[in-house]
Amino acid sequence: MRKDFGLGLTGAVALAALMAAGAPALAQQQAPMLDALVESGELPPLEERLPASPLVVEPVDSVGTYGGTWRSALRGGLDNAWIARTVAYDGLVRYNREWNEIIPNLAESWEVSEDSRTYTFKLREGLKWNNGTPFTSADIAFAVELMSEPSYGAGTFIKNPNNPVTVEVIDDTTFSFVFENPNGLIMDDLASVNGFTVVSLNKEYCSQFYPKYNPDAEANAKAAGFETWELHMQDRCSWATETIRWANPDLPMMNAWMIEEPLTGDATRTTFVRNPYYWKVDSEGNQLPYIDRLSMRVSDSLEEITLMALNGEIDFQDRHIATVANQPIFFDGQEAGDYRLGSNVPSTSNTLALQFNMNHVDEKRRELFQNKDFRIGVSHLLDRQEIIDVVFTGQGEPFQVAPRPESPFYDEEYAKQYTEYDPDAAAAAFEAAGLVKSGDYYTFADGTPLQITIDLIASFRSEWVDMMELMQLQLEAGGLDIELNNIDRTLYYDKRPLGDYDAQIWQGDGGLDVVQEPRYYFPANGESVWAFRWQAWYNGANPEIAEEPVAWAKEQMDLYTQLRAEGDPDKRTELMKQILVIGKENFPVIGVSLPGNGYYIAKNNMRNIAPQMLHAYLFPTPGPYDTFQWYFAQD
Amino acid sequence: MLRFIVTRLIAMVLTLWAVSFVAFAIIQLPPGDYLTTYVATLNSNGDRVDPAAIDALRRQYGFGEPYLVQYWKWISGILGRGDFGQSFEWKAPVTTLIWGRLGNSILVEGLAVIAMWTIALPIGIYVAVRKYSLGDYLATIGGFIGLAVPNFLMALLLMYLSYLWFGTTIGGLFSAEFENARWSLPRVMDFLSHAWAPVLVLATAGTAELIRILRANLLDELKKPYVVTARAKGLPEWKVILKYPVRVALNPLISTIGWLLPALVSSSVIVSVVLNLPTAGPLLLRSLTSQDMYLAGAIIMLLGVLTIVGTLISDLLLAWIDPRIRYGSK
Repeated sequence: MRKDFGLGLTGAVALAALMAAGAPALAQQQAPMLDALVESGELPPLEERLPASPLVVEPVDSVGTYGGTWRSALRGGLDNAWIARTVAYDGLVRYNREWNEIIPNLAESWEVSEDSRTYTFKLREGLKWNNGTPFTSADIAFAVELMSEPSYGAGTFIKNPNNPVTVEVIDDTTFSFVFENPNGLIMDDLASVNGFTVVSLNKEYCSQFYPKYNPDAEANAKAAGFETWELHMQDRCSWATETIRWANPDLPMMNAWMIEEPLTGDATRTTFVRNPYYWKVDSEGNQLPYIDRLSMRVSDSLEEITLMALNGEIDFQDRHIATVANQPIFFDGQEAGDYRLGSNVPSTSNTLALQFNMNHVDEKRRELFQNKDFRIGVSHLLDRQEIIDVVFTGQGEPFQVAPRPESPFYDEEYAKQYTEYDPDAAAAAFEAAGLVKSGDYYTFADGTPLQITIDLIASFRSEWVDMMELMQLQLEAGGLDIELNNIDRTLYYDKRPLGDYDAQIWQGDGGLDVVQEPRYYFPANGESVWAFRWQAWYNGANPEIAEEPVAWAKEQMDLYTQLRAEGDPDKRTELMKQILVIGKENFPVIGVSLPGNGYYIAKNNMRNIAPQMLHAYLFPTPGPYDTFQWYFAQD
Repeated sequence: MLRFIVTRLIAMVLTLWAVSFVAFAIIQLPPGDYLTTYVATLNSNGDRVDPAAIDALRRQYGFGEPYLVQYWKWISGILGRGDFGQSFEWKAPVTTLIWGRLGNSILVEGLAVIAMWTIALPIGIYVAVRKYSLGDYLATIGGFIGLAVPNFLMALLLMYLSYLWFGTTIGGLFSAEFENARWSLPRVMDFLSHAWAPVLVLATAGTAELIRILRANLLDELKKPYVVTARAKGLPEWKVILKYPVRVALNPLISTIGWLLPALVSSSVIVSVVLNLPTAGPLLLRSLTSQDMYLAGAIIMLLGVLTIVGTLISDLLLAWIDPRIRYGSK
């Protein structure tokens, strides 16, 4: 799972060697749609558009043919994640298709200093933005400079309050990221969906909105109808994959396709057309991408998208429509719609993570929820097989919130502990936790009634309601008085710092991305709802509510701090294993079942799509499966 | 009459001011603001947000200021510069977002109103005149079904049936090739080939209501002596009915035209979402859930304007159609 930097370097060297040897022999070709532009002189010839060593991509099945339009759909206008996944997966580095190695992309190679504080990257020689201007170290430095501006941007690794970064430009194609503290995770961050930030801003274009470079920037912003230069910059030159980024065709990009019809607030369709300066070729030297255009229907209606897919009007999509409920109709419609179903392996470890609030403001409840016996009792009361059969048509298996079987961190004991349905064991555990049964329900030892309210958001995952209603019946049969509280997502989040909630649920993130998303293994971040005040202590966020964690959680935090600073991937793996051992021992979060595989639908004539894909947010599927080498078969 | 219009216009301005004040307050009622939603999304995606950056954004957006200050900024921007503020989510001025969508809304809903009246009026007159005939029963049953079936369900059914029978999906208002084209005859044809579905869906419910009201009113009028007199004087039957009782029976319908416009906009939100119409409805829904308050505020404001303008129109129409009503002259 962890990346071996040495290996990555050798890989890069090997590629460069291949290019040096093979370049003259490779008959470099371009898409026919560009021929006329080159002939008329509007576009320079292919040799001048490609970098000295273009990235050579081995197609999944076969070398493709040019042409065609890939049709898909966005849900509402603000579905930037789908664009990130299809168009924008092009950072400095990328993950390989197995998600176990980091491979070169815009950066040809990189070196890490002994202390893991300095990362030096070498960009490909002759990279160009889609408007033909060179892509250089200056663009990276500009992005970091802009994002470090206290009043600009939010939520990027550049702004990480724990470990800020600066850039040293060595020459046009060489630069270093220098971190204040050792950083062992930055390569993963750069290869993930978060890595786009640093390569998404063209200095020549974007600096015009920045007062540091253009003294008129503030005035221009006002004239354009924006209160501040920051708002103007966001509108014209937004970073990473923010939706607004796809509304400005003038903004230079490095992606395989560039904006044709922009995604504005009132658009009903957005289209992308091939980037004539894209810097990747196939194994025969043909410039990528193969597909000419992407056309995305902007639809607020899931029903419409579903019908479009059934009607064969979608060439590839999984997002939004590939739900458990739709699976039978998509399966039946394959012949009529001329498409096929492929398989997605989700990165989530669980269909539902039940999190009791260990930092409850009420003293008694806090004590109870921190009691491991109580959680064991709850876990034994769940008849997981019934939930799997009723809600998931038998797909999946009883599972705790623990690394998935595909993960190198998989630990069967962690995944399976306390998953058997056993009311007697539950009763014993509740007794050990100091609960007393009076009548149908358990009460606290002093006789105070114990009603537990579980918050859920029905709008996010409709199956959560079905699951929770079953779980409510099962828990009540075992003597726990449960109330379900279906609320809006905003309120859900607002309750966290207040600490006045019994339990919340979410999906089991971090099943494959164990190191990057450890929220259920220890109080890692704001999504660790089960220990929100402990994570606040750890992250230095919301100091007004921060609380010192118990010893075992603190030990995990120390280990993760070491991990973050560790350059050696093997040592990082070792540290993560130690964190997981403590997590297993203390069992903070209760899971239900391992999600069954998801699916995607693809037209039968669309080729080079991997039959099975790993599916995660940080690994923005299908991006790592190289959408630019997908093509439409002619026959 | 002039004096009437002037006093109405003054009242309109005051009402609008009240609407804007209340609208802005309601949008701010839910806990949190756009930034909490935004930060929550970032967090759940695994992004760590620097609290200082959030504070900076909060200041930029003017959150945390007292309600009145925020309201004043907003309303003075609208009045002074026609500036409805920024849409946080779209990171763009609200004005660039709403006009096109509002235009589509008015177009579709206007068509729905016209369709509703052209279907409902003749049927309403017919069922009143031919009370308890077969036609009356059929129209009544049809009307009640139209009234009883929820609009969104009807939209779903239409979509599914058109997929099943014709192999097309009928969402949206234009085919791909006409979406961004200029208005032309082919584009109008293309628009009509898409717009029939939402117009039909939106018109059906209202039609039934109109038929029933018209029928009841007309039945009352038909028995009155002036109708008998007209008939006795030998006027042709159609003239008897159309010239007098129908005009009177229309009175309550016309005085509620003002409610028609906003009712159509709000009833069409779900239909627009289901049929994916590029109208103001889905934009409003979305902006409310994400607490994009200036965008939501602008749309609600404009709905308020529609209502008030609609009421004025209905008052004027009423004065014109019913000579017994004389405003302002005592």
